[in-house]
Amino acid sequence: MDLSTFLATLESSNVAVSIRNSLYIFPLIESAHVCGLAMVFGTIAIIDMRLLGLASTRRPFRKLASDVLKWTWAAFVLTAITGALMFITNASVYYHNVFFRTKMLALVLAGINMLVFELTTGRSIHRWDKDAAAPTAGKTAAVVSLALWIGIIFLGRWIGFTTTRATTIPQEKAPEINFDDIFQQAPDNPPAQPGK
Amino acid sequence: MKEFADWLSHTSLSVLIQNHNSWMIPTIQSVNIVGIGIVIVSVFMVDLRILGLAGTDQTVKETTNRFGPWLTGALCVLLATGLLMVVGEPVRELITISFWVKMFLVAVGTLIASIFQIVLRKHDQHWQDELIHRVSIKGLAILTFLIWVAIIVLGRLIAYDHVWGSWSPATKA
Repeated sequence: MDLSTFLATLESSNVAVSIRNSLYIFPLIESAHVCGLAMVFGTIAIIDMRLLGLASTRRPFRKLASDVLKWTWAAFVLTAITGALMFITNASVYYHNVFFRTKMLALVLAGINMLVFELTTGRSIHRWDKDAAAPTAGKTAAVVSLALWIGIIFLGRWIGFTTTRATTIPQEKAPEINFDDIFQQAPDNPPAQPGK
Repeated sequence: MKEFADWLSHTSLSVLIQNHNSWMIPTIQSVNIVGIGIVIVSVFMVDLRILGLAGTDQTVKETTNRFGPWLTGALCVLLATGLLMVVGEPVRELITISFWVKMFLVAVGTLIASIFQIVLRKHDQHWQDELIHRVSIKGLAILTFLIWVAIIVLGRLIAYDHVWGSWSPATKA
């Protein structure tokens, strides 16, 4: 199976079709994706600030890392799953989008940066665990990490602005479900217009 | 509100953003997301400390001293980028229910954080010895985190306000 066939298979999968056919699922997946990435970025920033000696300096690095990194990974799993779900709804478009590709590259680089840190500075952790900042190599890893993750956020937003979302729902059309009916609000008592 | 949004969209700052919207809008949104990442994790770490799930080698006050200033700073970034987004795309932002519910929750979340920091500063020993062990305080910690999660979700739903159906002024406009 060549690549374009594979991407087309993803797009025509039941999951992708259901997401495209729903008014609600894609926005909710995207919202969960933002929640996940906010947690990923925020928790990584805590670690990087500690490595740079800018925050949490009085806590041993290992203690802080064991508090924080499990949440980073949990949030990363959420972000990866929701990201994959968004991808399959319009796989061939995202695959060819330059910002998507750059974002995937940045994610790989962030992973490599983390591995290099673990295999070098991370090995000597017992020597600087209680120091206010990590050795130079650790600080470098922190700067690279912050730059990559901020870049990943920007690239993700740019994907949204350079692709059209695949959906079978007309964007401007009001949904079938009418919340007024669900909550049985009297027709002469419409919900307050916010801000007015 | 429609008139105000229309007026706002004709101000010079709004016109400037609109004329460069291809990069300005995504840039402002990206900075906003970076800020919300700092905000939610700052709230999260203090909440985890109250729940006894992280930072237990430090007091609640020490934990709040570590994350409070970052919370305040990041909230200022959110305010600045948020204002720019409203000025840049007034109709898209102001004529949605997601935006107004989000603003309400931002006010509630900020109020809770402010009251918590003020009260903690005065009675930190009482918090440390007694209050954090109360179920109601633990519940409030979880609720506070969920408020910020809801703020992120509503922020994204501004772009999809039609999901609220007849509740959304955008579908009536």
